Amino acid sequence: MDFFERQDKARRHTTLLVVYFVVAVALLIGAVYLVVVVIFGGIELKNAVDQTTTTTSWSHAKMFLATAASTLGVISAGSFFKTLSLARGGRAVAELLDGRLVNSNSTDGNERKLLNVVEEMAIASGVPVPQVYVMDGEAGINAFAAGHSASDAAISVTRGAMTLLTRDELQGVIAHEYSHLLNGDMKLNLRLMGLIFGILCLTVIGRILIRARGKNAWPFLLLGLALIIIGWVGVLFGRLIQAAVSRQREFLADASAVQFTRNPLGLAGALKKIGGASEGSELQSARAEEVSHFFFANGLKSEFFGFATHPPLEERIKALDPSFDGKFPRVVLPDTPAQAAPPPLPGVSPLVQPPPPPSQAQPPPPPLPTAKPPPLPMVRPPPLPVGPATVAQQTIIADIGRPRTEHLQYAVDLHQAVPPAIQTAAHDPLGAHALVCAFLLAEDTAAREKQLEELGRRTSDAVRQETIRIWPEVQGIPAHARIPLVDLALPALRRLSPAQFEQFRAAVNALIASDNQTDIFEFMLQKIVMRHLDTRFYPERRPVTQYYDLRPLVRDAGILLSATAYAGAEDPARAQAAFAKGAESLGRIARAEIPWLPPTECELPHLSAALDRFAQSLPQIKKNVLTACAETVTFDALIQPREAEILRAIADTLDCPIPPFLQA
Amino acid sequence: MFLLSCGLIAVVALFLLIFVIGAYNSLVTLRNRYKNAYSQIDVQLKRRYDLIPNLVETAKGYLSHERGTLEAVIAARNAAATANTRAAQNPGDASAMKELSSAESALGGVMGRLFALAEAYPDLKANTTMLNLMEELTSTENKVSFARQAYNDAVMTYNTRREVFPTNLIAGPFNFGPAELFVIDKPEQKEAPKVSF
Repeated sequence: MDFFERQDKARRHTTLLVVYFVVAVALLIGAVYLVVVVIFGGIELKNAVDQTTTTTSWSHAKMFLATAASTLGVISAGSFFKTLSLARGGRAVAELLDGRLVNSNSTDGNERKLLNVVEEMAIASGVPVPQVYVMDGEAGINAFAAGHSASDAAISVTRGAMTLLTRDELQGVIAHEYSHLLNGDMKLNLRLMGLIFGILCLTVIGRILIRARGKNAWPFLLLGLALIIIGWVGVLFGRLIQAAVSRQREFLADASAVQFTRNPLGLAGALKKIGGASEGSELQSARAEEVSHFFFANGLKSEFFGFATHPPLEERIKALDPSFDGKFPRVVLPDTPAQAAPPPLPGVSPLVQPPPPPSQAQPPPPPLPTAKPPPLPMVRPPPLPVGPATVAQQTIIADIGRPRTEHLQYAVDLHQAVPPAIQTAAHDPLGAHALVCAFLLAEDTAAREKQLEELGRRTSDAVRQETIRIWPEVQGIPAHARIPLVDLALPALRRLSPAQFEQFRAAVNALIASDNQTDIFEFMLQKIVMRHLDTRFYPERRPVTQYYDLRPLVRDAGILLSATAYAGAEDPARAQAAFAKGAESLGRIARAEIPWLPPTECELPHLSAALDRFAQSLPQIKKNVLTACAETVTFDALIQPREAEILRAIADTLDCPIPPFLQA
Repeated sequence: MFLLSCGLIAVVALFLLIFVIGAYNSLVTLRNRYKNAYSQIDVQLKRRYDLIPNLVETAKGYLSHERGTLEAVIAARNAAATANTRAAQNPGDASAMKELSSAESALGGVMGRLFALAEAYPDLKANTTMLNLMEELTSTENKVSFARQAYNDAVMTYNTRREVFPTNLIAGPFNFGPAELFVIDKPEQKEAPKVSF
């Protein structure tokens, strides 16, 4: 099952979920109606007997309509409200559980370890680095990922997980979360959360009603009580669905995590520590129940009527480590909470040199016993080679969303090979801003001067100075390291204030426009940045699936393939041959001519619009188009690094992360 | 229609409740956001406080006659570091932020004096360690001002939200106080050049 089939499956799950939910709501309305009939029907009867008149005779149809309308109103209002508040993506969930956003340039040892693990995973799978949160109040070992897509994902771990787990174990846990992220589970989870909250609102109404006081209040008390019971039964059903969906996905995620790190002992070690720690994986937060299906391990104190959201620990460990004897090691929690470490700053006696600041992330211990180049602090390390020879088109598509151990190793090496100055820049908002701008600067001195002037005008002098400062370093960065660097810079860029983001957007657009050479790779880079940041600053502009067939997109496919072909070959004849190879793979599906376009008709604005439309199509269409692009790129046996990166960039804009290409 | 009106009342009650929860949550989110934005300033300020003693140490050998200035720099740096520690514990707190503002302004003033002094010593200006440190300091300074802008934007958004109707009905009872901006007076702007006739 490849990435696209899994996406399709996640979509079908969602549809099924909606069907279940509609059935559940219908049953709930029925139940509420029954209660209303019993209670108020009883009153009617009593009144009728007492007064022997039938003035307030109720038509049952009216009563049914009234109950149905109010029940439906309550449930949909609740669901709508919750879905709306979750529109901000993963961070909404992380903040709900009192998560603290970890600074991307943090120098705290534990935080740095966590950030490094997350960053390496992101580079290895080709997705932007998610926001990382720590739940300081939680001593247990647990973690979750949430979000609609890779752009707005947040990974959140408890303080216990951050401090108690070794790097290997943490890597296992984070790899597990990444597999949720890449399998499209998170979107499903968010939807589930919104729907269950709607049902929960019934019990809220019930609680309001049982507060009713007065002479004739008893029917309301009864109704309130009934609503609470009905609501809870409804939530129980919701949880049932939740648990069923979640449990099967946990095993899948464990398996993918092992495939990713090829180190089952790391993940098994984390699970064993959960079994041994006094706090286990429990969460203190009162809101844990709402999000229990997001977690790495069972987050609730007691299982919900036996419907656990996660398979038993022993079973999960046995699947990873068959020699497990069922004995958990004792894990001692550190006495002092690791948060609120006192700042070691003040009180430097005059004219005494303090210890040098921890300038760089400490090199992490190697996750695998393979030889790794030692980090070279000041000398530029040799550029990492990209396999220029043969990347088979089949492996490109098969690798999407399914990174392997080799990719992780590559990511670790790349992470360490990036010059320290650039690393620091990528982790700081101003530095990241400058880094993206520096990527867009022209080689030519005169043109660059003009661009810098424009940059200063659009933003501030600080940005211009910082861009000039890092430009010499940026120049030496090879094409294949640029997309990973942009992915690394995204958490820092998400911390821009909305006003700063507007300036950033204007500056980037101006830099692209002032650069007379239309470089498709630079253009794709800025498109990636903007697309991922737009979900942060404009959550309402989320793309929805609009195209279910390739036919309306035939011209867009032509633009995309022609542009890819031109980028790969100087010679028009060769370009057209490459295009023909790509178009052929699509032609059978589209049953229409994919037009071969002259360069003037597939310029950057056209390309941009075409990509936006493909981003709104079904996973299978994306797969076909990407396959065609891969065919075009692999036409000549020689894949230039730049060409390969353009392909990765195109895949990224379609939300289909391709892991980095490795040396053959 | 008695039952329908009951249902209506229930729905209206739910909407009111949802409104209160929503307003409360939005205030919490915005408060977290400016506190988070402060942590970004905190990182850069600490970096700066670490760099300054190095700078003084390097300059000491050349500026032996300017001990007073160097000690003033260290004193101002220590004062600012203490003020920052206090502000970091409770970002947005009016007195802590004001204290930090004045400490930072003072530090900016003496640093300016130190740089002006250094101009008069060509050997010091040519020292590569000094050059690197000064470059690093300028860059950190830029990062502070950038992070400060983000923090002030976040504070403004929070303060506006807490003052506008209808969120202001929630802000009072739930104790959402106003947050303080972080402004640094540029000494050169404040002290107009003295002209004597």
